[in-house]
Formats: sequence, structure tokens, C-alpha cells
Amino acid sequence: MMRSPLLSFFAFLFAALCVSAVSTTGNRVLAILDDVAEKAIYSKFLGDLEGRGFQLTFETPKSESLALFKLGERVYDHVIFFPTKTKGLGPNLTPNILVQFLNANGNILQTLSSGVSTPNSLVSFLSEVGIELPVDRTGLVVDHFSYDTSSAADSHDVLLLPPPAPIRSDIKNLFSAGAAKDQVLAFPRGVGAVLGSSENLTPILRAPRTAYSYNPKEQSEVVDDLFAAGQQLSLVSAFQALNSARLVLLGSAELLQDKWFDADVTKPDGTTHKTFNREFAKRLSAWAFQELGVLRVNWIEHRLNEVGGSNETNPGIYRIKNDVKYTISLSEYAYDKWSAFSVPKNDVLQLEFSMLSPFHRLPLKFDESHSSPEASAYSVSFKLPDQHGIFNFKVNYKRPLLSNMEEKNTVSVRHMAHDEWPRSFVISGAWPWIAGIGATVTGWIAFCALWMYSAPPADYKKESKKTQ
Amino acid sequence: MRFSQSIAPALLFLSGVAQAASSWGFDEGRISVVAKKGGAGVKEKINARTPLSTPVSLGSTDTLKIALTAKDNGQGKRPHQAFLVLKEQDSGLEAPYPLTVKESGQAVVSISHKDLPVQLLHASKPLKASVVIGSFGSAKGLNAPVFDVKLETDPNVPLPAYEKPLRYGKKDEIHHIFKADPKSPPKVISLFFAAAVLATVPVLFVSWVFLGANINHLSKAIGAAPLSHVTFFGSIVAMEFVFFLYYTSWNLFQTLPVIGAVGLVTVLSGTKALGEVQSRRLAGER
Amino acid sequence: MAPKQRNTAAVAASAPSAPVTTVPIPTTTSTATTAAIKSSSSKQAASNTQAWDKVFNNITTHYLKTTPQRTKLLDAFMAFLVVVGALQFLYCVLAGNYPFNAFLSGFSATVGQFVLTASLRIQTTEANKKDFPAVSPERAFADYVVCSLILHFFCVNFIN
Repeated sequence: MMRSPLLSFFAFLFAALCVSAVSTTGNRVLAILDDVAEKAIYSKFLGDLEGRGFQLTFETPKSESLALFKLGERVYDHVIFFPTKTKGLGPNLTPNILVQFLNANGNILQTLSSGVSTPNSLVSFLSEVGIELPVDRTGLVVDHFSYDTSSAADSHDVLLLPPPAPIRSDIKNLFSAGAAKDQVLAFPRGVGAVLGSSENLTPILRAPRTAYSYNPKEQSEVVDDLFAAGQQLSLVSAFQALNSARLVLLGSAELLQDKWFDADVTKPDGTTHKTFNREFAKRLSAWAFQELGVLRVNWIEHRLNEVGGSNETNPGIYRIKNDVKYTISLSEYAYDKWSAFSVPKNDVLQLEFSMLSPFHRLPLKFDESHSSPEASAYSVSFKLPDQHGIFNFKVNYKRPLLSNMEEKNTVSVRHMAHDEWPRSFVISGAWPWIAGIGATVTGWIAFCALWMYSAPPADYKKESKKTQ
Repeated sequence: MRFSQSIAPALLFLSGVAQAASSWGFDEGRISVVAKKGGAGVKEKINARTPLSTPVSLGSTDTLKIALTAKDNGQGKRPHQAFLVLKEQDSGLEAPYPLTVKESGQAVVSISHKDLPVQLLHASKPLKASVVIGSFGSAKGLNAPVFDVKLETDPNVPLPAYEKPLRYGKKDEIHHIFKADPKSPPKVISLFFAAAVLATVPVLFVSWVFLGANINHLSKAIGAAPLSHVTFFGSIVAMEFVFFLYYTSWNLFQTLPVIGAVGLVTVLSGTKALGEVQSRRLAGER
Repeated sequence: MAPKQRNTAAVAASAPSAPVTTVPIPTTTSTATTAAIKSSSSKQAASNTQAWDKVFNNITTHYLKTTPQRTKLLDAFMAFLVVVGALQFLYCVLAGNYPFNAFLSGFSATVGQFVLTASLRIQTTEANKKDFPAVSPERAFADYVVCSLILHFFCVNFIN
């Protein structure tokens, strides 16, 4: 008897070790390169990935054995596209297959390089999700005001940027938290993209205000037709599908190369800085491969919140105007463990109580009594609307850079039962009418007694006898 | 790469020197606002050091023209980047307009009202215009605010609608508005009427007495049919008491059997009791 | 007004016992009334009210004289019910009808009791005896008790 729990505990431990430090969706990574030997220049980045528990497979686009699906199942969980010189990617990597891969919860990290024109297949795949690349496919982003003077003194195409801060105040800082103050991100010879208006697209890194994109082949002398400039240019872009599958477009593949990891760069003002590239590459790939910004709902509970009410958890039916309490427990994944999820500072987790449209949309507050280091609970107490019908407790938490969460719990809300109304004597307005019934009944009982037992007056008796 | 690395310190030194020596600027900056129907528009001179103090107003059919000569260390030269950037102050949104530059550094751009993006048309404050000039090499770029543009909109022509793109984020709170609870009238009025209703009962009794009501036959009736009279009247009172209990505490299923039992007693005793009443009537006593 | 007055006078006259002796009375009263009205139209208002007083006096004395005592008690009970009903209705008009079910049951208890009592009066008066040959006053009273109890039950049930 004693051994079996112990055994299962060891089994659990073993299982935990096997999947240690890996993405929430899987660890099979396919890296696509022009030449498998090229992987040497990305050795630190790829080594970091393997160190986090990913299994890497390297293929070239021309490879016969290359397939993302086998017998309708995904063979890889994540794909990295390094720049390839081939114009087409062959029949195994058509835009259609890539969209299918996203639909099947696969994640893609795609890198571009200004020196290498982007394959047709990837361009149309990107336009499918609303990302637009320069028409000539070899745009180059330059900034004459913030570049690395030691490696690009003349060409100004190694941009130096501060580690990317969140684009909005209500978004969690996933990419630059903890970066040293003087660290900069080197963005060498990259391509900028323009993002469409879809809410699923988020720029992770925008170009500086003075940067612009040009075609080095045709516009080396003068920029006659501007593709985009300043903050419109997105250097690193994120797309998260409704199923939370992720696509990251990194404008500069060179950013991941060993030589830019922990390198020294010099700004035009002469100051020397360490690059943030290694940490950024780690965080970017971790986000792309579902190691960061992944939310999990542990449990949801709603119950009656009334003194003397039923203590049932998640009942299927409530009454109108019932006081109820709703609690949801959430965890967030970071690299290798689930921890309590805290809602970003200017953001709120909201609960909707809706039939066709929401009747209530209320902020959920952190509930310490149900929280632990691994899970945080958020709860709200409220009064159900005075409308009967089928309702949903709905938490629709979709935020940039966090996996999508939509939780619905359906309940019926019924009318007041006939014995749940306040009694008439409680309502002061009813007192005269209660008194009316009382007076009528009292008078009636007295009348019955009179009718039966009242003797007629003596004189009348005589009179009536006479007439009769 | 090895080459560049080896000469990096030298380059660094050079660029440091060059920075001190060489930088971009412009001369002969002019802006003019040209109305569509001709007519004299505003003409101003601009320079990189001090922006114009008053905003330039741009009507809905007007065109804004900027001409300048870009200079690298005083020498007219063509820079790779020569932009006029219009910035919306609230959102920080920017629209760059590249200038057409000649070899000599003479640059010109004209921006008509309809070229402006919709977001800028909805700006509440004047747009900030700045000139950005930069190029490859070691010369330092120029990014200087030069003037403000105040957009004049035609009140007869509605602005093109700008719909903010949908973004994920928190939404406005919604609180259901409940129907107001029905209100009882003031308690004083209720109490007064309840008392008035109850006061009619003694009035009734008094008026009965006044009309000569009595219960003189009670002894006679009890004497003639004691059991049936007591049970009949008692069962009527008992029935009302059952109703009272039903009102205060009992539920329907407790009440109904008791009503049945009491009702049966009422019917059985009632026939006897009323038979006695009838006998009194026939005896002419009623 | 005049015809109505005449009518009630006739009813009051015909209702109580001894129809033979009382028959001439209504005719005299009614002619007196009409005469009084005709004469009053030309005279002052004071004489008019005097004529009305006369009519009322006639009616009341007649009622008091000819109505059996038991029926008077019954009428007093009905008057009581009218007053209680009027008070409840007045309260509803003044203070609103919330809670409406309470108003309905309170008011209908009184009105229903009035209707039942009126039925009892009709069935038990001597003058209507030939209309209900099979119904003895005691039988009518038994019906009255049963119906009243049922009414009370419904009202108590409905007031909640």
C-alpha cells in the first residue's frame, strides 16, 4: 500500500525531468538553412535553444525529406526560417502549408536579411497574415543618427536601439525587463516591414524615428520612392493567431549570429556599449516557441454568495438578483515552470456576464486567499441582473503577446419562485389591505353568531305575529 | 569582417574627428502656401536654428511648398535622406515626406492638404514640421524642428471619418441597471388607513347593539342542541384560525387536510345546528 | 334625480312585509315629491332642500318601520362592508397599488363578502319567498357560510 504512491511519485518525477525546461507545446524544432554548414555562425543561439530542451533538425529547402506534416500530423512543433537564397521554397513549404502549420498550433520564427531576397512563398505567407515587405524584397533599414560606428561607419546599416520596451503601457514587458541600462540592441543589415491593421499583429521592435528603408540596388544615390520610415517600420513583428499559434518576423537574421552576441558597439556620440542581442534572441525565440507569455486556466468556480444560500460549486441554475461570486485561477509559463499570473499594471482582467450582449462587465480582483506561487486567483462578487434566461460567465482575455484565453460557463437564471417574494406583512404598503381582510373576517364571524343566536326584539315579535 | 575589425580603431578615431568637423545643415530655406486659385499666399524663410514662432496655416485646398539647399559643412551637396516630417503632437504619429534633391543640394517638396493622412487631419494641435537631413559617411545628420502647421478645414466639407483600428485591451466596464424596487407609501399613511379599517369593526358592533342585536337565543340553542351548536360555531372559528396559520406559517399541503377535516365537521354539525335554528323559526321565535 | 328617488322609494316600500297596507304609501310619497319639485322650481332654494328632507324622512321612517330587525342587522353589516371597501379603495387611489396582489385580495374579500351577504339578504327576505320556494333561510345561511369560507381561503392564499 505504501509503495504505490511512492512509485507514482517517482514516475512523476521522471516524467517531469524528461520534459524539463521546454515549451508548452513541444520541443521539435525544424531549422531551414541554405546550407546546413551555415548553422555554425548561429551556434550560440542554436546552442541556447538546445540547452532549453529543444531538439533541432536542420534541413535545406531543396531536401527531399522535408515535410511539416506526415499523415496529417505535425512532424515539428516549431520552424525557424533562416535566410535562403533560393527564390522558391519548393512544394513542401507553400504558403498554404505554412498557414496550415499555424492552424495546427505550430509556431514559426522567420528571419530576413537585406542581402538575401525573401522567397516568394514566405512573402505571400506574410501578406496572408497582414505583414508587408518592401516591394523589391531587398529593403535595407538605415539610420544616420544611431548606428554602430565601429562596424558600419559609412553605410550606417547596423542600427543601435534600446532594448524594446512594450508598445503600450498595459502590456507586459517581456523582452527588455532586466536589461542593463547601457545595453543596446544591434540590428545589422535588416529589413523593415509594415504591419496591417489586424489586432493580431504586434510590433515588438519599431525602427527609430529617423530610420528609413531604401533599396540599396536602385536607390543608392537618392530616395525617390519611400517604402516606409520612422516608427511605421517594424523591425521585429509578432503575429498571434486566434489559436495562440505564433509567428515572429525578425528583420535581421544577422542579429542572431554569434558575432553580435555580447559584442561591443559604438554609438555616433562615441560611447561604447554591450549588445543585448543574446538575451533578446533568447526571449524572442522563447516567446515564439510558447515558453513566454503563455497563460493557463487552472480552474473556474462560481457559487452563490448569500448568507444561508446553497454552498454548491458551479451550479447550473441561479435566480435573478442572486449575489454570486466568480473566481478564476490563472498561471503563466516562463521557460520551465508555471507561476502565478499577475495582470499587467494598467490592464484589467474582466468578467462579462452576458446573454447576447454583456449585462455586466466587471474587473476581476486579485484574490490572495486562493492564490499560491504557482497560481493566482482573481474573483469578483456581483448581483445577477433582473433578467431571466441563459447567461454566460465569460472571461475573454485577449492581449498582445499573451496567449488568447476565452472561457465560457453557461448557467440559467430563473425567475423568482412564488414563495420567494417578500411576505405581505413585511411590506408596509399592504397593511391596510391585510387589515381589510381581518376586519371582514371578524365582522363576518360576529355576524354568523348574531344571525343564529340573536333574538328578535319583543315588540317586533308581536307585530309580526299580528300580520301573520 | 576581419578587415573592418582591424581598422575599427582607426575608423573610430577618424569618425570622431570628422564628427567634429563635418555636419549637415541647410540654407535658403523657404516655405510658401499656395492657394489653388492662385493669389498671394504666405511666404516665410526658415532656418535650422530657430523654428518659426507662428504656425503656418494650411487651407483645405492649399499646397505647402518647402525649398531648401542642403549643405554639408557649408558645401551644397546631395544627402541620401532629406525628409520633411510632420508630427501629430498628441499621438506622436509621424508622416515623412522625402524632398526631391538635386546634385547641388537644392531640395523641394510640395505637400497638398489632401496628401495628408487621415489621422493627421483630426489633429487638435498644430502639426510639428521638422527637417531631417542625413547621409552615409561621417557627416553628422540634422534633425531640426522648423515650423508648425495649423490645418484649416473647410467647415462645409466633413472630415473623412477615421476609425481607430481594433486593438486587444481592456474594455469599458458595464454595470447592469436594475429596475427600481417598488416603493411602499409612507408608513404613516399605511398605519392610518389600517387603523381606520380596523376601527370600523367596533363601529359595526356598536351599531348592531344600537339596532337591538343580542345573543339571547344562545342559551336556548345550546340547550336544544348543545354539541352541534358548539361544534358548528367552533368549527367556523377553527377554520378561520387554520387560514390564519396558513397565512403565517403553514404551507398548502399542511393546510389542505386540516381544512378538509374541519370542513367535514362544519358540514355535519351545521346540518344539525341549523335544523335547530329552523325549529326555532317554525316555532315563531325568530 | 327625481325618477331614481321615486324608484328607490318604491323598492323600499315593496321590500318589507305587509304589502297590502303599504301599497298606498309609495303613491302618495311619489306624488308629493313631484309636486314639491314642481312648486320648488318657482320658489326659493330653501324650500327645495326642505322638500328633499321630507323625502329622506319619509324613506327612513318607512325603512325603520317596515324592515325586520334581522334584516336591519344584515344591512348594518353590508354598510360596514361598504365602508371597509371604500377605505381600501381610497387608500389604493391615494397611496398607489403596490403590492397589487394585496390590494386585490383585501378589496375583493370585502366586495365578495358584500355580494354574498346581499345574496343572503335576497334569499331570506319574506317578500322574495315565492321566488325561492325550495330555499329555506337556514339552507341559504349554510350556503352563505360555505361560500364565505371559500372566499376567505382564496383571499388569504392570494395576499401572500
